[in-house]
Amino acid sequence: MPKKLFKKIFIVILIIMLLLAFSKSYSTLNIDNLSVVVAMGIDVSDKNHLQISFQFTNASSVSESGTTEQAPSIIYSVDASSISAGINLINTYIGKSVNLSHCKVITFSEEIASRGISDEIYTLINDTQIRPSTNIVISKTSARYYLEHSKPLFENLITKYYEVFSASGSYTGFTANATIGDFFDSLICHSCEPYGILGGVTNNSTEYTGSSNSENDSTTKSNASSLSGQSTAENTGLAVFKDDVLVGELNSIETLCFSIIRNQVDGFLISAPNPNKANSYIDLHVTPLVTPKIKVNILNGTPYITVDCRFTGRIYSMEDGSDYLDSNMLNQISNSCNSYLESILTEYLYKTSKALNSDINGFGKTARSHFLTLDEFYNYNWSEKYKDSFFKVTVNSSIRSSSLLTES
Amino acid sequence: MGLKDFLSSLFNYTPNHKETYNFNLVEDLNTKIYPDSTLGNEGIKKTNIFPSVTVNTDYLKSKYNLLINSDIIFRDFILNARGKQYHALLIFIDGMINTEIMNEFILEPLMMRNKNNLYDNSQNRVISEAVANNITVRKVKKFNLPNYISSCLVPQNAIKQVSTFEDIISGINSGNCALFVDTLDIAFDIEVKGFKQRGIEKPSNEIVIKGPHESFVENIRTNTSLIRRFVNNENLIIENVNVGNITKTKCGVCYISGLANEDLIAEVKFRMNNLDVDSLLSAGQLEQLISDSSPLNTPQLISTERPDKSASYLLDGRVIILVNGSPYAIITPGILSDFLSSPDDKNQKAVFSNFTKFIRLIAAFITLLLPGLYIAVTSFHQEILPTELLFSILASRANVPFPIIFELLVLELSFELIREAGLRVPSPIGPTIGIVGALVMGQAAVSAGIVSPILIIVVAITGTASFAIPDYSFGFHLRVYRFVFIFLGYLCGFLGIALGLFVYMISMCDSKSFGVPFTVGVSPLEKVKGSSYFLPPMEKREYRSGFLNAKKETKQGHISMKWK
Amino acid sequence: METSKITTAEAISIVLGIFVAYTLVALPRSMLETTKTATLINLIYVGIIALLITFLIYKLLLKFPGSDIVDVAEYLGGKPLKTLIGIVFIFYFLFSSSILLRNFCECLKIVYYPMTSLIFIILTFIVVICITLHHRFSSIAKVNLLIIPLVIISIIFLFVANMKNFSLDNIFPILGNGLFDTFVIGLGNLGAFGGITLLYFLPPYLKEPQKMKKVYLTSILLGTIYFLLCVSIILFMFISLMYTNQIMPLYSAARYIEFGNFFQRLESVFLLIWILQMVCYLSIIAKISISIFKKITNIRDEKPLIFVFGLLIFAISLLPKNYAVSKLIEDYIYHYMVIVVSIFLGVSLLILAYFKKRKKKELKADAQKTI
Repeated sequence: MPKKLFKKIFIVILIIMLLLAFSKSYSTLNIDNLSVVVAMGIDVSDKNHLQISFQFTNASSVSESGTTEQAPSIIYSVDASSISAGINLINTYIGKSVNLSHCKVITFSEEIASRGISDEIYTLINDTQIRPSTNIVISKTSARYYLEHSKPLFENLITKYYEVFSASGSYTGFTANATIGDFFDSLICHSCEPYGILGGVTNNSTEYTGSSNSENDSTTKSNASSLSGQSTAENTGLAVFKDDVLVGELNSIETLCFSIIRNQVDGFLISAPNPNKANSYIDLHVTPLVTPKIKVNILNGTPYITVDCRFTGRIYSMEDGSDYLDSNMLNQISNSCNSYLESILTEYLYKTSKALNSDINGFGKTARSHFLTLDEFYNYNWSEKYKDSFFKVTVNSSIRSSSLLTES
Repeated sequence: MGLKDFLSSLFNYTPNHKETYNFNLVEDLNTKIYPDSTLGNEGIKKTNIFPSVTVNTDYLKSKYNLLINSDIIFRDFILNARGKQYHALLIFIDGMINTEIMNEFILEPLMMRNKNNLYDNSQNRVISEAVANNITVRKVKKFNLPNYISSCLVPQNAIKQVSTFEDIISGINSGNCALFVDTLDIAFDIEVKGFKQRGIEKPSNEIVIKGPHESFVENIRTNTSLIRRFVNNENLIIENVNVGNITKTKCGVCYISGLANEDLIAEVKFRMNNLDVDSLLSAGQLEQLISDSSPLNTPQLISTERPDKSASYLLDGRVIILVNGSPYAIITPGILSDFLSSPDDKNQKAVFSNFTKFIRLIAAFITLLLPGLYIAVTSFHQEILPTELLFSILASRANVPFPIIFELLVLELSFELIREAGLRVPSPIGPTIGIVGALVMGQAAVSAGIVSPILIIVVAITGTASFAIPDYSFGFHLRVYRFVFIFLGYLCGFLGIALGLFVYMISMCDSKSFGVPFTVGVSPLEKVKGSSYFLPPMEKREYRSGFLNAKKETKQGHISMKWK
Repeated sequence: METSKITTAEAISIVLGIFVAYTLVALPRSMLETTKTATLINLIYVGIIALLITFLIYKLLLKFPGSDIVDVAEYLGGKPLKTLIGIVFIFYFLFSSSILLRNFCECLKIVYYPMTSLIFIILTFIVVICITLHHRFSSIAKVNLLIIPLVIISIIFLFVANMKNFSLDNIFPILGNGLFDTFVIGLGNLGAFGGITLLYFLPPYLKEPQKMKKVYLTSILLGTIYFLLCVSIILFMFISLMYTNQIMPLYSAARYIEFGNFFQRLESVFLLIWILQMVCYLSIIAKISISIFKKITNIRDEKPLIFVFGLLIFAISLLPKNYAVSKLIEDYIYHYMVIVVSIFLGVSLLILAYFKKRKKKELKADAQKTI
């Protein structure tokens, strides 16, 4: 029957048409034609262009026999006027099409961060391939140098290392999981400021920053740490932005304060002054009990912010002649811990407001509840008023006991 | 052969005497050699039996082509009845009758002189007597030879009087013997079947752990006896329907008369009585002949070789069809949930059987969709894969020369080849084919770099999942349609699979099986009593399947365990 | 094709399907654009109004059992009005569904098929719709009943999995742009309730007409709850400037889901489910349009029309020049179309027909009294 034949021919033509149409996208997205970028670095090059570095991993070295050798990483850099131009050039150079879906880390150098990175952030967020959970690292060295020295110690694939390192902040508090999604949110939000992980390479500089209240605690930050060993990248501390410009850095203890206030830390180690001995310190492992209660009041046009934290802890260090089951002793240690934490938190908060004028803690979001309409809030101009803020920090911690031994 | 002959054979023209054997069945496809035979087109015309044995003999001799047919036996003898002797004829087919029964219970009582057939007609039986005016009027029962033969002479359990040749011939063909007696225009169809048949064995394709281990055989009477033993109720009706113009295959339509919906029974019989086919040789053919049309070629009737499964569906209100010569029963109607159920589900606790039903549901999805999803993900959506898995896939594919779609199609087709080959291999080396085909070839292909190991795993999981589908036809349907989804996944990734899945679901929801929607009970939001996919606990299975509209709604009391 | 009937659950899921289909593309964004942070309050307010309107429609339709709005129009104004109303509704259905299809395919093209021309992506949908329109309405409703729970579960999963990214402070300032904006201009959000249009056409299809009240009220209530869920996902996850800038807000929210390091970027799975819902919605709308056309022209067999309607949807979806135009149509014009056609036109028709019926009854009663 001619009608049936016509129908069959029509169906065949339709299938061929659709095959041809979709095959173009197939050839772009098929895994055989992809080279997977695991990290990206953005620097400023000589001619005021961008130098974009791409880090690849040779996937064929991951064979099924379970090799214990590390998969080598390959870094290519290109000078271009924008990120998309850079990707275009790399595509020509490599042959396989560059795919950013598995890019775990985007590194900006300190230089370019001081200039402002909003264009690059907007471009990257607009890309369909970039994951919102990609980490942002601001490197004290050049981004390419950082990527070259990014070698995992215990993993074979560098992607595993990239996935894991930002999570260390949940048990130390010395780094945070700064993602590009959060960065973009904070960038366009009028009530908070963005931040990034501070990255650097060990053994690179002798700069040492101290803090008045914390002589014994680790006050290191990236590129200035006291670690010695193989020259690898380190990610300690935070980079603080105001809008899209880098305005300052936080060292490890300040990052810990940031993590406490943002409730991003599950437990951390501090050295509180020993109440019974001068110049002596007790190591405590502290765990937050509840999310810190943050209240923002507007008094005479200036913000008055109260932070109320509650912790529980255990004593980690032991010394000769100590008796940690005595309730008096525990009370004294708790009080010492409270005052210590209050002092470092207050110092940190005043640094963000007075020195940096950057509300990376997100107090502006809580402040919004004081305004009835969005216009009122915008007119208040929180980002300028933040530097006039007053803080009151209350810490309530109960040190329960030591770990296995009760006295020595 | 001399030199002369040799030379003459070399240089002389010697035509070849021997003609090559050239047999053609049909010289020209357009010309008919024979006019259309009327075989099977006899229609409903019936020929009555003649009172004379000689005429009947000639008629049947020509019908059965006695001169060339070697196993039809005509046995003439003299029948003694009531002191009179009649010319009689027995006709049967050698090999289909039990000779002992025939000799002892038919020939002996009829031929031998015994007290049964030595009555003379003077002893009439008086029914009633009336005396009036000294005249006695007696009502006497006249001697009826057919009744006498069937009631007094032949001690055989099943004997039927028929009056047409078509009925007697169908009796002879099925293994009975026919008795013709002179002066009678009826014949006796006597049950003496004694052909060899397969004994009742374990089911070969539907294996259960806890249920009975009997299966149907080819003989319809044995099968009906198996069902009757399970149902054990006089309301079980087994109606006979003959299908096939030439073979007149006996089919039994079974239902329980107080339960089954009358419209369903009528529809089944209507469809079976209106089939214009020459022959019906198996239940599979009958299934195809009476099924509704389905655009997706899903099976619409359940085929089973288990009598317990048939009995359980009978008690649910469905109609079973048995076909003589086929060890499979057809259950009407069949819905989607039935094809994913095993007969063992009701024998276990509800929790365990629901767990296995859930596994089977996942197996059905995997069989249909896994290869398509794999190719969609690797072609368009690789961001779903964890980075390490993506690198493993890339590494394993580094040396493979073919694109993924080609690899996948080659592997799937090889798997189908191995499966088909496994069916035909003689049993001693059957398992070897599985090992050789699957393991060695697969491993060798990976080592040679022709396919990637991850694809082997995908194909193997798909194949294993397809074996988990209880119903063979439904598993076949899923296996065929997975190729459609492979193509759609290759064409446009998840968009193609989603659109294909939608068309698939709509076609399934649209199809009906004997008036029942195919996907009834699949959606958890659609409340049809007694027909959800997952089984409730035993004490809550109160209702029969609601979509059947059976005559009795409940099959258990509200509190079935009265002892608790 | 005889009128195939649908059960109560299927009817509720069909109406819900219309709500769901629009939220998957850009409805939450357009709602949030108007009322910003006060959208949740506004939705509750608008939801109550929609519920009242639905109750009114139900009461009015009860006076005309078994008839849909086209039959009511015929009763009111004869054949000319019936034809006019039929054409208005056909135009409304085809236009709104074509623009939605266009927007959805634009988003698909951006995300998955950058090199494929938009025509072919739309063509695949049209081909599938033409195939499914050959089946009965009840089977499409059955499939919809299977798909809607999947979609709702996916949205709930989206909500639960993203809870760690929520910042509940995003709901402040509570009144958004102010009282006037929230409650007066915010009435435009009533245009989200496009499913009310379908309520006018449901009565002839219901298997259990006595459950009409349950169908109508449950579907609008569930729709409101569903809107609240979708809007709260976007409101809590993104800040005000961001959600007005995304093409498919729910899709962007799905990109943030991650469980550990291995389940990331699951948005393709969501999109698979959402494509199912989209094509289901398109089939239902096309089926209803064809049945309206059959009603106003009294043709016997509508099978030849399937190809025509498919082509119409294809053509209308290709009308906008670029994404900006189709986004504008969907964000603004669609809302006003719903309010004008679905709410004002439909309700006023029903009220006028009801008055006419009452007048006739009174006249009849008077005539009987005089006799």
